Amino acid sequence: MMFALALALCLPTMVQAATVTIDVRGPDGQPLTDAVVVVDVPGAGRATPRGPYVMEQKAIAFQPHVLVVPVGASVTLPNRDTVRHHVYSFSKAKKFDLKLYGKEDQRSIVFDKPGVVALGCNIHDTMSGFIFVTTSPFADKTDARGRVQLADVPAGTATISVWSPSIRATGNMLSQSVAIGAAGFATTIAIRR
Amino acid sequence: MIIARTLMARRGFRSLRTKLAVLYTALFAVALALMGGVGQVMIWTHARGSVQAELAASGTVYDGLWALRAKTLTDTADVLARDFGFRAAVAGGDVPTIGSALTTLRRRAGVDHAVLVDLDGGVIGASGPLARTLSALPRQLRAGRHDAVVNIGGATFRAVVSPIMAPTEIGWVVFAMPLDTAEMRSLERLSAIPLIATILRRDAAGHWVSGNGSVTPDPAVDDLVAGSTTDRPLTTLSLRDGRAFAIAKPLPGPGGRTQAALLIRYPLRAALAPYIPLQISLGLAALIGIALVVLGSIRLAKGIARPIALLDAAARSLEEGSRTEVAVAGDDEIGRLAHSFNRMSAGIVERENRISHLAFHDSLTGLPNRTYFRQALDQAMTRAGRAGEQVAVLCLDLDGFKGVNDTLGHPAGDSLLRHVGTILLDLAPDGMVSRLGGDEYAIILDGGFDPDRPRALAQAIIDRGATPMATDGHQIATGFSIGIAIGPDDGADPDQLLKNADLALYRAKRDGRGVFRFFEASLDAAARKRRQLELDLREAIQTGQFRLNFQPVFDLKADRIGGFEALLRWHHPTRGEVGPAEFIPVAEETGMIVAIGDWVMQEACRHAVAWPDHVRVAVNVSPLQFRNTGFQAVILQALARSGLAPNRLEIEITESVFLDGEDHVLALLHGLRNIGVRVALDDFGTGYSSLSYLRSFPFDKIKIDRSFVTSVAEDKSAAAIVRAIVDLAGALNMETTAEGVEDSDQLARLRGQGCGNIQGYFFSRPVESAGVDKLLQTVFSQAA
Repeated sequence: MMFALALALCLPTMVQAATVTIDVRGPDGQPLTDAVVVVDVPGAGRATPRGPYVMEQKAIAFQPHVLVVPVGASVTLPNRDTVRHHVYSFSKAKKFDLKLYGKEDQRSIVFDKPGVVALGCNIHDTMSGFIFVTTSPFADKTDARGRVQLADVPAGTATISVWSPSIRATGNMLSQSVAIGAAGFATTIAIRR
Repeated sequence: MIIARTLMARRGFRSLRTKLAVLYTALFAVALALMGGVGQVMIWTHARGSVQAELAASGTVYDGLWALRAKTLTDTADVLARDFGFRAAVAGGDVPTIGSALTTLRRRAGVDHAVLVDLDGGVIGASGPLARTLSALPRQLRAGRHDAVVNIGGATFRAVVSPIMAPTEIGWVVFAMPLDTAEMRSLERLSAIPLIATILRRDAAGHWVSGNGSVTPDPAVDDLVAGSTTDRPLTTLSLRDGRAFAIAKPLPGPGGRTQAALLIRYPLRAALAPYIPLQISLGLAALIGIALVVLGSIRLAKGIARPIALLDAAARSLEEGSRTEVAVAGDDEIGRLAHSFNRMSAGIVERENRISHLAFHDSLTGLPNRTYFRQALDQAMTRAGRAGEQVAVLCLDLDGFKGVNDTLGHPAGDSLLRHVGTILLDLAPDGMVSRLGGDEYAIILDGGFDPDRPRALAQAIIDRGATPMATDGHQIATGFSIGIAIGPDDGADPDQLLKNADLALYRAKRDGRGVFRFFEASLDAAARKRRQLELDLREAIQTGQFRLNFQPVFDLKADRIGGFEALLRWHHPTRGEVGPAEFIPVAEETGMIVAIGDWVMQEACRHAVAWPDHVRVAVNVSPLQFRNTGFQAVILQALARSGLAPNRLEIEITESVFLDGEDHVLALLHGLRNIGVRVALDDFGTGYSSLSYLRSFPFDKIKIDRSFVTSVAEDKSAAAIVRAIVDLAGALNMETTAEGVEDSDQLARLRGQGCGNIQGYFFSRPVESAGVDKLLQTVFSQAA
């Protein structure tokens, strides 16, 4: 597991904020969508839930596939399908079991511990979704181009973590310490198999 | 076939029958061996084909079973892995719940080992090496694979892995089944044929071996496993429990490396077992076939070889000289050969008889010949020697037979000889009569004859010979001379006895013919002496011991020496002077007289040419010389070489020359006369004194034999004869010479009777050539 870092050098200013741009490439070299990038900056404070956070069950699937939320966020899990779903999680971060609820049946879950919560449906084995619960205010998932752009990241030493179900590592996550300059930070992270 | 032939050649069978039988049997055996070989190959191929098909089918069945079992197990595991409660228990790390669920699962699936492996590699439901191996297994499996065969400790396990999804993988349910003997037996039971299934593992050296020791390290096994990854070839392996057809199925391990393989084999013995009755039948058929061929070829060979063996034996006995017939029936080649052989055999025997008859018999008279006689005498003497008896041999000679041949011709002579043969057979029924050749016959008397029998027989033969024999239209007066020798006194062996009988015959002939003589010891001595004389005579010719003496012939009318008679003298180095009467007969018998006569002729002419012209030389000529066709040439040569006038040469012949045939002699005499040589008739008055000779040839001179001259003075009859001869000669215009004149009375009487010439001691003894000149002068005056 390693990062290929291209550092942009800038003046270290505690008050200065920078934009961090991370491109994630899958093992096949293609942009990896729905990978979560988290930048932990010491003393940056915790993220605060802004809501609403919604994880729909729609067309026998979780929408979105990956949802990034701050610790303490309440996520609603509306069923948009005509069939019932039995959404559950055996993840340590949040175990729950929403037994057979129907359409427009609003259920909300508060995620009070950081970690990855794997969502499944006991009725539909193919349904799979992830709620990434984080303390960091600088976290997002890659877009269709495999890119994440985080603004206003304080310059200085930080830990960049990348999570994806396709990463074969403990917790499906890779981390690396980096120094973020005032002018911003950009890198491409390629995931090796 | 070549093998068979060389085999026979090497062994060298002496019997045609064996040869044929062995050849046929060998050929048939080779053919059978070829057929048997082909049969074996076909059986093998067929067995292999069916086993391959069976093994391939079994392999396919097993592949299906393998996959089906995987599916069943996966499904069974899936049921658990998808169970919400189980997943909750796994997610919650509820070990007791998980353990109990796994126990249930084992029972449900009938599998020994069912374990849970979590994402961290923790294992629930197993411990020890099994747990360790299974812990790593899910992550070692390549994508898409759910099962693998692994070795754990000394055992081989099949592991089936089923993931637990919640919904992401949170662990794996793993089944592990030992591929043990029981598993193999259940697999074997699936096949229609008695297959043997074995799990192979690599040993320390990398060879594929079985856990139970039935398959040991073997490159063939390694090759089979290595070559079985893509397809399923059939191989024949030599294993500890015998040869077997085998296929192998490598069992994939978790990674790329194969840790175990399944070997399915079919013992060759079992594969070929169904064919054993067929092979036994083929073998039996071959044995029966060989037996039939042996019997058949012996029978056939007998049919061919027996007549040939008979012919062989017959030919051998024919070779040994006995007449044989082969009894062979049939008109095939051998039958014809036998007939030809019989004809040939008969011909050979007949010719042999004829040849031996010819060899032992005289073709003219049919009497036994000399060879037969010799053998018979041999046998007779041997027999007589044992019995203490005597054997008599009578040798007979026909007197004057040559004259018969010459005067009456050979047909008459032959006829006479045959007639004599019958006479002898008639007279000597108790003896063996044979013809030794020419006019010589011999008779053997043996077997205890009367002591007087030889004499009586000889006398009887002579008596019979005294009367003329009528043959071929002629009355031939002849006679027998017979010599008799009686063994063993007269000769201990046949040669000696025959020789002595011959000597006796010789004596009989000398004693005037028409008589018989017994052998006496003195005859033998005389014969030896004569033989010595013969040898000496030969030497005398070669070394020139002869010389000539000359006796003058006095011409009473001219009162001078009219000529000399050349007389042969022989001075032998040790014997001294040998008289002509002693050696001339020997020279005549041996034919040496011809050479001696030639020499005399040359020598006489050589001397005479030196004499006065009116002096002639007279040379005696033997009838043998006369018979010689070159005689006239000898005379011409002597005259030419010496230069002597022909009319100064006078040859003296006796009447006996005419015995060889008058015509020839007369022609020769006329020939000599024509060249001018004079011819005198010697010893006239003795012997035949046939007047017809005087008429047939005009002799120049007649010499009156000394027997008349000696007694001419005192014996009137002798004087009368001399007178008659002289008158007769005068009438025929022939001169006369009286020989042996020894005194004056004789001379006076002869002169008175008109005899022209005299010769004798009264006038002069023969003198050496050196004395001739002196004699020509001195005697001349004396006579006057």
